[in-house]
Amino acid sequence: MIKVYICLLLLLATRVAGAFEVFACEPEWGSLLKEIGGDAIQINVGTSALQDVHVIEAKPSLIAKVRRADLIVCSGADLEIGWLPQLVRQAGNPKVASGAGYFLASDQITTLEKPTSLDRSEGDIHAQGNPHFQLDPYRVLAIAKALAARLAQLDSAHAADYQNRLDDFSTRWQAATKTWETKAAPLKGRKVVVHHMSWIYLLQWLGMEQIGALEPKPGVPPTSGHLATLVDVTKSSHTLAILRAAYQDPKPGDWLAQQTGVPAVTLPFSVGGDDQAKDLFGLFDSTIDKLLAAAK
Amino acid sequence: MNWQGLELSILGPACLAGLLVLSTHVPLGQQVLARGIIFIDLAIAQIAALGVILAQYFGMDEQGIGVEIAAGVAALAGGALLTWTDRRWPDYQEPLIGTLFVLAATGGLLLLANNPHGSEHLKDLLVGQILWVDLHRLIGVAGLSAVLLAVMWWRRAHLDGPLFYALFALAITASVQLVGVYLVFASLIIPALATAGIAGVRRLVVAYAIGAAGYIAGLVLSAVLDLPSGAMIVWTLAGCGIVARVLLSLRGRKRDVAAVGGMI
Repeated sequence: MIKVYICLLLLLATRVAGAFEVFACEPEWGSLLKEIGGDAIQINVGTSALQDVHVIEAKPSLIAKVRRADLIVCSGADLEIGWLPQLVRQAGNPKVASGAGYFLASDQITTLEKPTSLDRSEGDIHAQGNPHFQLDPYRVLAIAKALAARLAQLDSAHAADYQNRLDDFSTRWQAATKTWETKAAPLKGRKVVVHHMSWIYLLQWLGMEQIGALEPKPGVPPTSGHLATLVDVTKSSHTLAILRAAYQDPKPGDWLAQQTGVPAVTLPFSVGGDDQAKDLFGLFDSTIDKLLAAAK
Repeated sequence: MNWQGLELSILGPACLAGLLVLSTHVPLGQQVLARGIIFIDLAIAQIAALGVILAQYFGMDEQGIGVEIAAGVAALAGGALLTWTDRRWPDYQEPLIGTLFVLAATGGLLLLANNPHGSEHLKDLLVGQILWVDLHRLIGVAGLSAVLLAVMWWRRAHLDGPLFYALFALAITASVQLVGVYLVFASLIIPALATAGIAGVRRLVVAYAIGAAGYIAGLVLSAVLDLPSGAMIVWTLAGCGIVARVLLSLRGRKRDVAAVGGMI
């Protein structure tokens, strides 16, 4: 019996040692990797949808995962600036420190809200644009293509495998995108108030409009004057909802909802943010369903 | 269970950082406890953070040595202020320290209303993460700790007034950035508290042992259980302190019994 266990363990060890390992900073990229890599890669995800990816707690296992990785996949655009550089430095793994093993999704697309000038007084802005682009299906597809190419480059033995899976994913994704767009047609032109400035890609895709934010300057708590204007604007402009991500504190949104009668809606924001958002498809299904429910 | 993180190269630097912090904080903690000014470390750390925010407010570079100097100068100024209040109102030192703490913390918030990047620094200063320790900073802190320990040893009979507050301010400023405010508080107070009542060098030795055991156990447990290291170490430090206290009291009772037996 013990021999069997040892054999199993050895098998497991060689399997793990041989597999192409990828570390994903956020669950949406973990899900995308699963679509493209399938069984050919082993995926470790560093954060969950229920935490703020701007800041994370240091755990020894995180360093161990990055140390073993052949590729790391992160949003970039300074989203993980608070911890990714330290994590990579501490892991001391030259494969992922820079170059092909260091894949930033933001490098594969154009970002929105790229500031023309960097002014501290505008809040915690990202010099490379808004990094919360995972809720635009077109950008996700562009990232998927670049990611498949990168996987094929680094793990050429499975190159055909990655291409096939990408083709399959693209077909399903484009069909789903059409469905979502048809379904979300009634949302066009509707106005929302947001908690943090993390919805711009989703709103632009669906033709919706952001009329205010609870955090007027990202990362800075609101002043009473700002809240007073926000209450007025929210009340007077037939606002659909107050949007917040699953990880965010519900108090500010609930307060505004109470003041204005406009419902606060918690969207999953990333894979794992609610029960329905089990993968990228579920994430978009859930987001659109919840917005439509508010519009009814 | 998770055995991946259990690597010396991951936990080693963090452990070294912990031992460095302990080296100065164990003797300082006994002073803090004797004076009954438990929250002085929180106040000094918060004042150092305020110094950094102020430096950035006046346009100083975020990275670099300037910020370190600003933190150190602010902490020393805070130490000087506390020396003065200690002389002027010795009976009210603890409430004054508490007031200074909230003033520094909220002063930072007021200044930060227009400087959001300072908030990241404020967090870094207070929540410094032990696993992210930077080797360069470790070397700097090692040098500083050696100097502080030498001064403490040299003036061991007269470690009071301005000298105590200055040493304390510098030690805290360095250690808070390295391991965060929770660990600094725990490293100061728990070993000192667990060894209260023991005299002389023996107290120092036991306190160092508790501290080292707490850090090592905490790092190993955080790796195995896959939990944040800083918070885990605070709990293992407390655990080691309790175990040490129980062992000491058992030994003490045995000795009492032996002494009584000897008299009979």
